Amino acid sequence: MPWHPDAVHADPFDPAGVAWSPVSPRLATARRITTLVTAAVPIVVLALIAVTVDTGWPWFVAGAIGLLAAWSLWAIGRQTRSIGYAERDEELLVRTGIMWRRIVVVPYGRLQYVDVIAGPLDRMLGIARVQLHTASAGSDAAIPGLTPDDAARLRERLTARGQSRLAGL
Amino acid sequence: MSEPDTSPEPTDPAETSDGPADPGWQRVHPLTPLLRSWQVLAIGVVFFGQDIGESIVSGDGLGSGIASDVASNRLIGVLAGLAVLAAIVLWAYVSWRCTRYRVTAEALELHQGVIARQHRHAPLDRLQAVDITEPLIGRALGLAKLTLEVAGGGNSRIEIAFLTEAHARQLRNHLLAAAGGLQSDTDAPPQVADSPAHRTMTVPTGRLVGSIVLTGATVWIVGAVAAVVASIAFTGELGFTFGLLPVLLGAGSLMWQRFSRGFGFRIALGTDGVRLRHGLLEQRTQTVPTGRVQAVRLHQPLLWRLTGWWLVEANVAGYGAGGSNDGSLSTSIVLPVGTLDDAFTVLTFVVPSLPHEPAIVTGSSHEAGFVAAPRRARWVDPVGWRRHGYRVTDHALLLRGGRLRRHLDVVPHARTQSCAVWQGPLQRRLGLASFELHSTPGPISPRCDHLAAPVAADLLEQQATRARTARATATDAWLSPARG
Repeated sequence: MPWHPDAVHADPFDPAGVAWSPVSPRLATARRITTLVTAAVPIVVLALIAVTVDTGWPWFVAGAIGLLAAWSLWAIGRQTRSIGYAERDEELLVRTGIMWRRIVVVPYGRLQYVDVIAGPLDRMLGIARVQLHTASAGSDAAIPGLTPDDAARLRERLTARGQSRLAGL
Repeated sequence: MSEPDTSPEPTDPAETSDGPADPGWQRVHPLTPLLRSWQVLAIGVVFFGQDIGESIVSGDGLGSGIASDVASNRLIGVLAGLAVLAAIVLWAYVSWRCTRYRVTAEALELHQGVIARQHRHAPLDRLQAVDITEPLIGRALGLAKLTLEVAGGGNSRIEIAFLTEAHARQLRNHLLAAAGGLQSDTDAPPQVADSPAHRTMTVPTGRLVGSIVLTGATVWIVGAVAAVVASIAFTGELGFTFGLLPVLLGAGSLMWQRFSRGFGFRIALGTDGVRLRHGLLEQRTQTVPTGRVQAVRLHQPLLWRLTGWWLVEANVAGYGAGGSNDGSLSTSIVLPVGTLDDAFTVLTFVVPSLPHEPAIVTGSSHEAGFVAAPRRARWVDPVGWRRHGYRVTDHALLLRGGRLRRHLDVVPHARTQSCAVWQGPLQRRLGLASFELHSTPGPISPRCDHLAAPVAADLLEQQATRARTARATATDAWLSPARG
């Protein structure tokens, strides 16, 4: 039975001896901008409807969307602070989430390729996302919010370790 | 199944008079373009024949038909049809000339395409499965298509169509031997004989029909019929029967597809790996080397508990998420229906060193040696919490679940891709977490829900270590003499 007594207090999201690296707070800025834009469009449309048709119900819907957006803006800060990654000897750990937490362990020998992706908003704010690919669609571990230098260095390290430990399918 | 003919050499390159310049390149069967475009040709023949048939039926006879054609300018139409037919035949000949393939020690290469040339190169050490498909027309002519799955991502499978049956089998055996590490000098003839089978199992047609009847589709049909009958009885309007049509069509086509794909299902377990043969109209033979099975699942739908039947599925890289419902891709079903004994035989063959205890599948967690979900998991999964659990053996991880629809997932350590643990807010309250194992795309997504959080943490750590050790010691050459 692989159950050790001293593992009683082990937390799956905080393995022993792991130093988590955080991501840049500019990721929160990028996500907030996206949320504002996504919420502003329907609010404006609804306001136009309310003004031209002169009814009251669009204001309620716009208000609901506004409340949702405000809550998102607050939650985004907490969510981006919870993203962390750690490079161990043989695998990469990525953890995310506050309410729904998730930790993924990706062995270097299973990495097929690593992408660095940056959209226009990301480039303006100076961040990028590192996307890992294995043979499985489920292990889509991604580390958003790294500076481009960090992302490029991480990709090089991962690729080098992956190639030295590469295993067949 | 006829034996391959005694001459070990496949089609000699010198046979074709204008053979390709490099040695080793071979051509496909000349009837290939006919088979590929038989639908277009059939339409052309029907159209043309209808023309002639009309003139015959209208009583004028063939000759006067053509004379009246000239008079009414339909001759131009006939000539145009002939020209199109000639163009098709010419294109068919050219595309046959442009298609060639070659097997080297490391790869299978295919060159095809008239205007857009396509050169495909499949390394044999990435071979995942070899399929031989005989469509209905091909069976009449004795021709077959060979497909090599390489799992290079995207569209990397190689399809060589069409070859004679015997030739296709020889090529398959040669590919499997080469991929499996059997050293062969270039002078020696390639491996052509079918590898011996240790164990063969068939699915009787009666059991297949029973398994199709005992599915959710039948429940839908029965429910729909009952609803229609009830509504007719209450309202007296017979128009309600039309509401049956979509349900009958949908469920009926699903059932027919399963019957036609599973007819004559035969499994042979041998040194080559797992060889499946099935199909009613289109016969398909799939060979998956043992080391290429990424995950196996034993599954029992609810209605099959009455008869004690089980379904065995596998993740094979390259087959994709087609699973059991895809009409065109190879099936990922290893055994469509069988007794627990049959299913266990297949399972222990694919994953060696598995303890042969059927209690693994049906027993309680304690007697099967599983680490189970704790009692507090009943708050999140009141029905099935007792059955969730995992067990570690030397070579594989077993994950179990399901109370009404039982399943057991087996993933060899060497085939683990990555692992993850996730936890929702309710689970955190109860101190639980769910563990999932990532495997290649397929019908199986192995996971174990609602383990105690420290147990999940431990499993995550240990599984990564076990997978690494297994990867280091696993060998890809399953047929090489060094393995004994």
